[in-house]
Amino acid sequence: MSDTALENKQKQKRARTRNLIILAVVLVVMFLIPQVTSEYVTYVVVLAIIWAILTGSYDLTTGYTGPLTFCHGAFYGIGAYASALLTLKGGLSFWVAFPISGILVFLFAAIIGYPGLRLKGHYFAVTTFFFGHFMYLVILNSVSLTNGPMGLRNIPPPEGFLGITFTSLNSSYYMILIFGIIAVAFLYFLVNSGIGKILISIRENEELSQAIGVNTAFYKVLAFSIGAGIAGLTGSLFAHFFRLLHPTTFAWMTSEMVVIMALVGGLGTLIGPIIGAGIVTLILELMRFAPEFRFIIWSVALIAVLIVEPRGLMGLVSRIRGGKK
Amino acid sequence: MFLQQLINGIIIGAAYALIALGLNLIWSITDIPDFSQGGIYVITAYVAYFAVKMANFPFVVSLLMAMVLGAGIAFCIERFLYRRWTGRGRIQLLCAIALFFLLSNMAILLWTAKTKIFPSYLPGGISLVGFAVSYQRIVVLAVSLSLFVAVYLFIMRTKMGKAIRAASQDREAAEVVGINISSVNSAVFMIGGALSGTAAVLISPLYSVFPTMGDLPLLKSLVVVILGGFGSVAGVLIGGLGLGIVESLGGVYISSAYQHGFAFFVLILVLLFFPKGLFGRV
Repeated sequence: MSDTALENKQKQKRARTRNLIILAVVLVVMFLIPQVTSEYVTYVVVLAIIWAILTGSYDLTTGYTGPLTFCHGAFYGIGAYASALLTLKGGLSFWVAFPISGILVFLFAAIIGYPGLRLKGHYFAVTTFFFGHFMYLVILNSVSLTNGPMGLRNIPPPEGFLGITFTSLNSSYYMILIFGIIAVAFLYFLVNSGIGKILISIRENEELSQAIGVNTAFYKVLAFSIGAGIAGLTGSLFAHFFRLLHPTTFAWMTSEMVVIMALVGGLGTLIGPIIGAGIVTLILELMRFAPEFRFIIWSVALIAVLIVEPRGLMGLVSRIRGGKK
Repeated sequence: MFLQQLINGIIIGAAYALIALGLNLIWSITDIPDFSQGGIYVITAYVAYFAVKMANFPFVVSLLMAMVLGAGIAFCIERFLYRRWTGRGRIQLLCAIALFFLLSNMAILLWTAKTKIFPSYLPGGISLVGFAVSYQRIVVLAVSLSLFVAVYLFIMRTKMGKAIRAASQDREAAEVVGINISSVNSAVFMIGGALSGTAAVLISPLYSVFPTMGDLPLLKSLVVVILGGFGSVAGVLIGGLGLGIVESLGGVYISSAYQHGFAFFVLILVLLFFPKGLFGRV
């Protein structure tokens, strides 16, 4: 008995060292990308990082806490437009607008989530789908504020400091990469903390965790709002990186892509959705020659994932590992 | 002006109610908010368009074709996809949204994103003091209302209808007393698909045919389902007409840019104050 316990402990230790080595290699590769590859590849990797943060933060709500939502793209869009407008019309510095847009989206999500998350069954999912579409309509139609279908142009890049400027592709790449690392690390510690355990308990059995005294409504709104807030911050980065915004970037296709990426990777694993985001972005990019096929392939892929392994890639991995034993 | 908008609202509302009726039956029996009906709406509209435009079929024939096609697609979706995941609502909902995504994008692939104008099948209309209604709009209203009556009679008078009512109240109990749930499922999906197809073909000549044409009718009929409450045929009709009228009048008197956003406000208000819908169960 104690032998197997010891063996397990060693196995865990080995697994941890292996994971740390993989993490280190991935980080080194990510830091080297702009130095050794072309501008195009760097650009694609920036997109992949942005998608990865969105998908990872989506996983906090849907994967760890449970409620299915379809409006992550809307929060991303609100963050992007809020930050762009604060700098363009409010004259604020990016470094002020960036946190403000995150907090704004956090509060916004709390206002939506507080009444919404009390709904049972699929009502909330359908409501978020609507909310996503509604926000798109607002962005598209508030012409005096968002410039409507013409989009916003000339969004200033982040101001430089300590001799670092953010006008070049490479420096923006590093800024987005570092934000991505911080965001993912934050999510990782959050889901492994006591709060994370509460969230998982809500996902597994909401009535039971309520019965043992967990304020499930509070934690559900909290997870939803934190996920949304991170999406808002990501939107702000996106706005100041690409320096132009268009409403269609935040139409419901975006929310849908986040859901697909998270499912391809495996909901409720954090690392799965991040890998899923990377894979899906890469394949989307490779399929640029046939844009009309892209969404068809992804919707078919989503249905295939649901049929073959609803837990996504991570589920497949654990199934293969389990089979080996 | 007011009367004109009221009539327009009633007509578009009748079409929403038609899609919502099918969605309501499906949702109350299988617990799936069937987004794929939005995709069926798009595909049937295109097929009817080509039937009329290319093959010169009469409008009535294309309408029947759309009904059969819609019922067929919905039947296959339920039989080969949703049924795998009975009792796993999350996966069914994700699959429904993926199918909606798939079918609307298939329309882009097959027939390009270019808007197509559905030929008018019944020119002319009635013009009275203060308002004018084209015959085509009257057809929308007449067909919608007669289908409503037909579905109502089907549910209330036939044996299958009785089974549907029983299943919507309690699936397990219905199964225990020997009701064949899988044929009930097939029946409601076929009714839903046929109604979506009908709504699509009725509406297309008034607006036009394009790949994202299903988005707004789908979202609005989902609102109507929630408004009307599950299992209430009358609730769906009143909810549909109500939403149509609110949109039409709001579009004129409040803001035309947000005409399609009113459904969202109505939804939020109803969910906040009447979480079970306005009419509940029959």
